[in-house]
Amino acid sequence: MDPITLILFIAIGGIMIGAGVHFIPVGGAPAAMSTATGVGTGTAMLAAGAGLTGLITAATMTGEPFYIIGIGGAIGAMIMMGITMLIANLIYIFGVGIVPAASKVPVDWITKRNQEAYKTPGTEGHGVPVTSFVSGLIGGLLGGFGGGLVYYGINTAVNESTFVTDPAISIGLAAILGVGVFFINSVIASYNIGGTIEGMHDPKFKRIGTGALACAIASIVVGIFCVILTGGF
Amino acid sequence: MDPVTLGVVALMGAVATIGGAAEDLESDIGSQSNPNSQVQLAPQMGHLHRMINKAASGEPVAYGVWCGVAGAIAYLVMSLGMMPLIAIAMGACVAAFVHAIYTVTSHMGRIVGQSQFEQPLFMDVLTQSLGPIVGHGFITSFCIVGISYLMTIPLNGTPLHVFPLPLLAMLWGIALGAIGSSTGDVHYGSESEYQKFEFGGGTPVAIQGDIVTKAPLGAKNSMDVVNFCAKFGGPLTGFCFGLVVFFSFWNTVVFGVYGGIIVGIIIVILLIIMDNYLEVFARNKYGPYEEE
Repeated sequence: MDPITLILFIAIGGIMIGAGVHFIPVGGAPAAMSTATGVGTGTAMLAAGAGLTGLITAATMTGEPFYIIGIGGAIGAMIMMGITMLIANLIYIFGVGIVPAASKVPVDWITKRNQEAYKTPGTEGHGVPVTSFVSGLIGGLLGGFGGGLVYYGINTAVNESTFVTDPAISIGLAAILGVGVFFINSVIASYNIGGTIEGMHDPKFKRIGTGALACAIASIVVGIFCVILTGGF
Repeated sequence: MDPVTLGVVALMGAVATIGGAAEDLESDIGSQSNPNSQVQLAPQMGHLHRMINKAASGEPVAYGVWCGVAGAIAYLVMSLGMMPLIAIAMGACVAAFVHAIYTVTSHMGRIVGQSQFEQPLFMDVLTQSLGPIVGHGFITSFCIVGISYLMTIPLNGTPLHVFPLPLLAMLWGIALGAIGSSTGDVHYGSESEYQKFEFGGGTPVAIQGDIVTKAPLGAKNSMDVVNFCAKFGGPLTGFCFGLVVFFSFWNTVVFGVYGGIIVGIIIVILLIIMDNYLEVFARNKYGPYEEE
């Protein structure tokens, strides 16, 4: 793989990862106390958890074309996000006794259900309502596909170069660089979000353009390093 | 479909369920995840407590380190010719020592930082909680390295996964940390910490920091937390991680690459339908809040 194509794979993958993080509904510490809508953990952490699950499933497709590896990663990340949000809702509903409710919109975008009446007074919503759930799945789709593209690009470049000849080391190098690119982009995106986001209906979601641009610039720089680390130039 | 591979995938799911439950309970004893913010806030609000607080790092990253350490040691010992089961146990043992050092230093650091609010450092709480924390951590590391090892052994000539063992252990550790932090810890943060308030509501900003400090007998400590969370949050976290591990491989093992993708999409659609049904059920069962 020539260096420009590798950088393109990493840049496009990075943009998809960065954009995907904006879709994932995370409420941080307040959500863990049922004070804010979303999943009760940090943005970068949940995105990384889903994306790395996607990277594991994408790597099981090694040897397939890039779009199959991307789709494999997307499916893995979506299943991880979906199961996690469903189980989180089970705990919110049966463990805490609350109904999933958003605070940034009066009615759910998809189901058109009232949100305000089901929100505990004094809180900014809780749980993962349907729009946030679907938004989280879209985030998993983009993050997993992007992670798969990055892995495919680096893995192909490493295998084609004479820099590393041991297959165990080449796959390990591709995987660890893929993880690095994933973490860099998810952390940049979470800085752009600034803490918590309810999903695609949140006003903060409008920042997605700036976030994707920042991820593109960072990914191109990381891509240059990846070219050097895989023995290119 | 190869029945042996399918059996191994099912075993991985079962082992992941045990590891997931142990991970969540460990993080509940040590207040590792987001509920630590309330343990940290309580002394400032005048509520002195006997809880462990070792959240010097996020749960996913911490578990990435411990499982990565366990996986690396197990890989090294296996390459020296040791039996895999013993090698994995040795790896998990070394990770447990690292975990113990981390627990003691981070808890002491965090509690001493709150001395300006008169919060004492209770050595008996630390010594009685250290064993359960390290024990649960050992079970988790053992399970994660175990499923990672199952992925790397050649079944009928080809392994389930191409990544090396230490890397797989680290990646699954990060994924498990993210799942435990997102699911089971909500039961601790929203319910166990605020059990004295009426069931059936979120935590208003006005009562944050007013955590439960009394148990049915004496002062509440971290062992009371794990006793409470082991009944719901912990098992559900294990169930969640077990499902994630199982469905990461089951689709492609049974239906092949292309069939697996279609089945994966069907699973995602089913998850949306189940979530919608769950929300409708909760709204009908609980009803809206009445304005006072």
